[in-house]
Amino acid sequence: MSLLSISLVLFLIMDPIGNISPYIAMTRKLSPNRHKIVIIREMLIALIVMIIFNYLGETIFNVLEISETAVKLSSGVILFLFAVRILFPTLRSPRANLPEEEPFIIPLAIPLIAGPSLLATIMLFAHMESSQEIMLAAIFIAWLAAVVVLFFAPQLQRLLSDNGLMALERLMGMVLVLLAIQRFMEGVQQFIATYV
Amino acid sequence: MDFNDILQTALTFFFIANPIGNSPAIIAVIKDFPFNRQKKIMIRESVLALILALFFQFFGKIFLDLLNLQNYTVTLCGGILLFLVAIDMIFPPNPVQAKKGVSREPFLVPIATPLLAGPALLTVIMLYTQQQAPLVISLGILIAWVGVTLVLILAPYLQKILGKRGLIALEQLMGLVVSMIAMQMIVKGLGQFVNPT
Repeated sequence: MSLLSISLVLFLIMDPIGNISPYIAMTRKLSPNRHKIVIIREMLIALIVMIIFNYLGETIFNVLEISETAVKLSSGVILFLFAVRILFPTLRSPRANLPEEEPFIIPLAIPLIAGPSLLATIMLFAHMESSQEIMLAAIFIAWLAAVVVLFFAPQLQRLLSDNGLMALERLMGMVLVLLAIQRFMEGVQQFIATYV
Repeated sequence: MDFNDILQTALTFFFIANPIGNSPAIIAVIKDFPFNRQKKIMIRESVLALILALFFQFFGKIFLDLLNLQNYTVTLCGGILLFLVAIDMIFPPNPVQAKKGVSREPFLVPIATPLLAGPALLTVIMLYTQQQAPLVISLGILIAWVGVTLVLILAPYLQKILGKRGLIALEQLMGLVVSMIAMQMIVKGLGQFVNPT
């Protein structure tokens, strides 16, 4: 996979556009300056977690004796369930149950940005991509793009209005479903190639 | 550029989007909204479908390649999402949850996609881009869209004929039909996966 593909996939799974409304809902009571500090702090934490997983991934593969097929299948299913919640919102979705106080690590850094599906994806890509430099660059590019989106979240919300934002959110959900199914089917393909 | 080509393309797109066949299902999805709201939803969804169709005409191939998405994924995705909608129609979610303020207004899913601009339409559009001039396809999409929108605006009147009880029956019946359309997409997607030619 190319650098562009990897960073685009990571960016989509971070789903900063879908996270605009929870971010705004959670930082509503803070002053604009505090709001920016909080976003940068949370995003830095998320970046650290991502980089840790980039290196830890291989260890997890080896220690737990998990195959690439299993990771593809499981992360496909999790990403799918996550994306379906975006398309068909329910009360149980993580975005509908946000605490009221100032966010610290939870829930903005983890799990809204660096959630299980993103970390599994990073693990998987780190395993498949031989060059560490490309992986780190891709993570950084995707992260930077997400920071920009969230930094200008209030302006974006004003620009797009609530309906436009919802349309974009749903569209991202659709793309995530596509990615999830593709991942799952690749797992199936790998399973067939290995065992059948 | 030939006018016949445009008309033919438009007709193909119109029939694949199948607004007439989809109308009962769409009405079943939006039956709980007031009449005027329904018309607004229809127009909004058809505009979203148009945007999707035009997006896929110009960027579909690049988009799928960039994310390493195969054609079978698009088909499977449409089928699975539609199947979830069908389950919701046959087994309606409990009313308590609906009242608690979670907006169940259909937005993009399921009317704009996968019912109108579904995987079949998007794939056909991408296929046409290899054979026809871009202008022909864009005009075809636009003409088909005008037809689709007209049908959709007229569709809410259908429920006046059906009445409340009729609508509940319709929802169940359409749930069945939608589940079969969905399964057909899934089967087709699996077919493309197993035998990619």
